[in-house]
Amino acid sequence: MKTGDLGVKTTTLEKALEWGRSNSLWPLTMGLACCAIEMMATQAADLDISRFGSEIFRNSPRQSDLMIVAGTTTKRMAPRVRRIYEEMPYPKYVIAMGVCVIQGGPYVDGYSVVLGVDKVIPVDVYVPGCPPSPQALTYGIITLQKKIRGETDR
Amino acid sequence: MYNIIADEKDKGGMRVITLDKKDLIEAMTEFKSQGYYLSSITGVDMKDHLEVIYHLHNFDKNEYLGVKVLTYDSKVPSLVGLWKAADWDEREQYDLMGIIFEGHENLRRILLPDEWVGHPLRKDYDLKKVQYVSMDSEGNEHVSFDEREGW
Ligand code: SF4
Repeated sequence: MKTGDLGVKTTTLEKALEWGRSNSLWPLTMGLACCAIEMMATQAADLDISRFGSEIFRNSPRQSDLMIVAGTTTKRMAPRVRRIYEEMPYPKYVIAMGVCVIQGGPYVDGYSVVLGVDKVIPVDVYVPGCPPSPQALTYGIITLQKKIRGETDR
Repeated sequence: MYNIIADEKDKGGMRVITLDKKDLIEAMTEFKSQGYYLSSITGVDMKDHLEVIYHLHNFDKNEYLGVKVLTYDSKVPSLVGLWKAADWDEREQYDLMGIIFEGHENLRRILLPDEWVGHPLRKDYDLKKVQYVSMDSEGNEHVSFDEREGW
């Protein structure tokens, strides 16, 4: 961004869109197991993610941009996760929260858990931990915002 | 009259009795008349036989009672006629342990998809044969051993 002498700012349309998108990431309520408790804590008053523009958790995939997959994705849930993901409008982003969602976590030897939600839907940011602290999830959201604005190289 | 095969106390002081499975309905009917309710049904795989454990709770006396039944052919009489709560508990035991509750009218899988092969909490269940679940546009689930056909 350049600041002109006349108090005028110039930017590209793309940059303006990216800025707008990154600061209004509305998450979808996608709590599947215990990690959802930490996701709720992230949204609640103490660590309020509205500070970063993720105003409110939407219950409809059609009103949300960001899917925080919080909790164990079982084999039976995976097709449903895929379907809900497909119902979200573009542009859409996914945060994988917790080791269960990243690679199976404590259930890696089990029979019922998908070993990594990235087999089902594309993931933008991984937040490891069991469960990740609300601070870690907030950091994940900030990382996603940077990614949308093209500020990170990954 | 039913006879009690073993009567012991567990570490927490709960009375646990072992019954023969042909006495189960009679004994449970009597416990029900004493004010016991069914809390949970669990199953244990002891390799040569299966154990079904019923936890009963009495609200008036605030007392728990464990009832154990051994089965060598994975069949146990159903308690749905006594307590409606037994319905889903028995379906869960059937789903994960493969215990067949005789007299249950709707003994289908409750947690896993209907097409699932085997009962995963049995010791002889082969974890290496991974099963994958998919869903068509109507919402019907399909199970396959092929990785490309599901998740
Ligand atoms: S990562 Fe840990 S806290 Fe999160 S869903 Fe899995 S087991 Fe629960």
